[in-house]
Amino acid sequence: MLGHGSAPVLSGLNLTLPPGRTLALLGPSGSGKTTLLHAIAGFVTPMSGSVLLGGRDVHGVPPERRAVGVVFQSCALWPHLTVLDTVAYPLRRAGASGGVARDQAAELLSRLKISSLAARKPAELSGGEQQRVALARALARRPDVFLFDEPTAHLDAHLRTVVLDEIARQRGEGGAAAVYATHDATEALAIADLVAVLHGGGLAQLGTPEEVYAAPVDEQVARLTGPVSVFDGALVRPDWACLGGPLTATVAEVRFRGPHTDYLLSTPRGCVLVRSAGPPEHEPGASVGWTLSRRVTLSPEVR
Amino acid sequence: MRTALVLVLLAALVGAPLVALARVAGERGWSAAFDTLTSLETGTAVRNTLVLAVVVTVLGCACGTAVALTTRDAGRWLRLALLLPVLVPEFVLGFGWSQAYGPSGFADDLLGVEVPGLLGPVGIVLVLTVHAVPLAYLAVAAGLAVRAEPDLERAARASGAGPFVVLQTVLLPLLRLPLLAAGVLVFVTTVNSFAIPQVLGGYPTMTTLVYADLNLSADPDAFGQLTTVALAMAALVLVVVGLADTVLGSSVVRTGTPGAVAGRSRRHWFLGAYTVFAIGLPMLVVLGVSITRGPGLAPVPANWTLANYVTAFAGPTWPALLRTLLLAVLAAAILTVLSGLVVSLRRPVLGTVLTLCFAVPGSALAVGTLIAYGRLLGTSAAIILVVYLAKLWAVAYRPVLAGVDRLGADLVPAARSSGARPFTAVRTVVLPPLSTALATAAGLVFVLASHELTMSSILYGPGSQTFAVVVLNQQQLGDVGASAALSVVLTAPLALLAVLLLRGARARTS
Repeated sequence: MLGHGSAPVLSGLNLTLPPGRTLALLGPSGSGKTTLLHAIAGFVTPMSGSVLLGGRDVHGVPPERRAVGVVFQSCALWPHLTVLDTVAYPLRRAGASGGVARDQAAELLSRLKISSLAARKPAELSGGEQQRVALARALARRPDVFLFDEPTAHLDAHLRTVVLDEIARQRGEGGAAAVYATHDATEALAIADLVAVLHGGGLAQLGTPEEVYAAPVDEQVARLTGPVSVFDGALVRPDWACLGGPLTATVAEVRFRGPHTDYLLSTPRGCVLVRSAGPPEHEPGASVGWTLSRRVTLSPEVR
Repeated sequence: MRTALVLVLLAALVGAPLVALARVAGERGWSAAFDTLTSLETGTAVRNTLVLAVVVTVLGCACGTAVALTTRDAGRWLRLALLLPVLVPEFVLGFGWSQAYGPSGFADDLLGVEVPGLLGPVGIVLVLTVHAVPLAYLAVAAGLAVRAEPDLERAARASGAGPFVVLQTVLLPLLRLPLLAAGVLVFVTTVNSFAIPQVLGGYPTMTTLVYADLNLSADPDAFGQLTTVALAMAALVLVVVGLADTVLGSSVVRTGTPGAVAGRSRRHWFLGAYTVFAIGLPMLVVLGVSITRGPGLAPVPANWTLANYVTAFAGPTWPALLRTLLLAVLAAAILTVLSGLVVSLRRPVLGTVLTLCFAVPGSALAVGTLIAYGRLLGTSAAIILVVYLAKLWAVAYRPVLAGVDRLGADLVPAARSSGARPFTAVRTVVLPPLSTALATAAGLVFVLASHELTMSSILYGPGSQTFAVVVLNQQQLGDVGASAALSVVLTAPLALLAVLLLRGARARTS
């Protein structure tokens, strides 16, 4: 059980992550993602239960003696240190001399293609540059587990893609496990081998990205893992239905998304969101035919 | 127009007194000034003041930093208890310590132990440090909150640094400016301190020398000498503060989740014990002495009496209490409005000027005001109000500025574009969120004006004593019971007000 003070935030968790795999913690704000990361890193002590790293119970082990590398949402770059000194910091703490630590840090910056930033301080960096420096600092730690706390939350869409690609590439080169906290389903499904959906103070569902998307256990999990309609007592993803077919409906709304268009269809049995490739082909009010290829029926107790 | 009004007020309140002080000191010539500063009596007081200021600044900042670092996850009551030494009047703190830990004090009577050297330089350093710790603690804690976001420390721990290395490589470098601010604040307060050296005695300082010569001697030459000393004291402090204020200023926006970095500190019991020793027991002893029939008697129910309160409130005490409350209310109201005016001008240089006004030692300001306005205002309560306005303006300005800084820049434009006239916009969207800041500003001025002794002890005359002056006079006459009774009256309602203000501020914040 995890919490702040005497107030529990998360309970009943039992998660195991093999080396080299990535676990995404997916949940809304306040669901306990950061608290769980802080428990793994050693910043908070679980109210009950234990955290095992490499099979060893790390209860009472301070953060600096756990083999974890953390990338914070705020980047948490020290404002008085240059980029080079920031990346050299964990190397110094591991016992490297100043010169060796700086050489290794410079090598790491070169690998991440940010050598030009070495002499700058955080205030002189853009958001994307700051996040890459934070990633370099975590890599310099050579941890067994990376902990990412919504690292792209403050970045625009383009930088988000750049940083996510960087994380995936650098993670692929090591063999460390990673825990990635996010509230963005697209990020979680794209980056993880396993997704743990957190809500309601506990673990709602654990599975591969395909499983949590294709077979959500309830409507809340379905909404957290992607767009969904509740149609005739069942969950329907927009890509599980298509235009054209024996069923009839009236177009209620049309939303152009660039590569595809979402249509909200009104039927006698309720509304359903349908995705179609390309630009809009129907106006609101038009009658259309449609087909439903898949649905997940909600069990009576979770409806 | 508004800028001109503020400048005229500042010139009248602080400029004219300092110019008057400089004029009288200058009339004596450079060699006379040099002779004054190197004479045995004055030289000793100057040296003692500097020694006290430096030692207390070092000790106070070290202890205040340690307290700030160990109380980030402490409960609100412990943090409030740690602030008590600045909430109670300086006089009461010194008097309480002398009664609790001095010769024939509570600890001496009960256990046969006393703090060695309490009535002398060691005791003055000790009690001034107790008084300084909350000031340094507040400055460093504010710096920690703004500059040292928790994630920075967590990042260092996750990079392999232990707690001491984090302190050395991350926290202290980030806290350089708050530490400088704390040092200047403690230095200025210590130079300005009068009540603690006066009550504990045995170590003359510049403030006690000014008080002694102005109130107990009619020697005009002594007055001339003291203007030189007061001016030198003002110059020293103004240079230190002026340099510091130009360095201070940048800040880092706080991000990351708040809270402890790695578990709850186990050192809180030590801090709890410290607050009991530093302020809890002395205040209890003062209360005990105030309701006990005579010195040396045990404070048991059989010896309880209210006679000390009856004795204490004979003579000028009631009028002095009412006069003090009126002065404090007037100062609080006027300075809150004036601070709002200065903040609305958005000229940071005015903030620096107000800080310098606050830093001018109270003794120097009082002597200068006496020279500048003595003929006009005599020794009436009005001249005391003038120095309160000059000295405490910065105290009201800082909370109002902080409150306005937290407001979004678009509040008024949003109200105006929604149809509000300028005055309505300020009344409806600026003043409501500022109410806590305004109440804090007024409350702080009220508390400090009610406690003020350094300046009012120089400026009071027949029929214009403040309550703190009556308490000091009672203590100088040696009536311990009545002094204790008046100390309780001076402290209790003001401490209560401070608690209410803090609770109100928290309720509004949450």
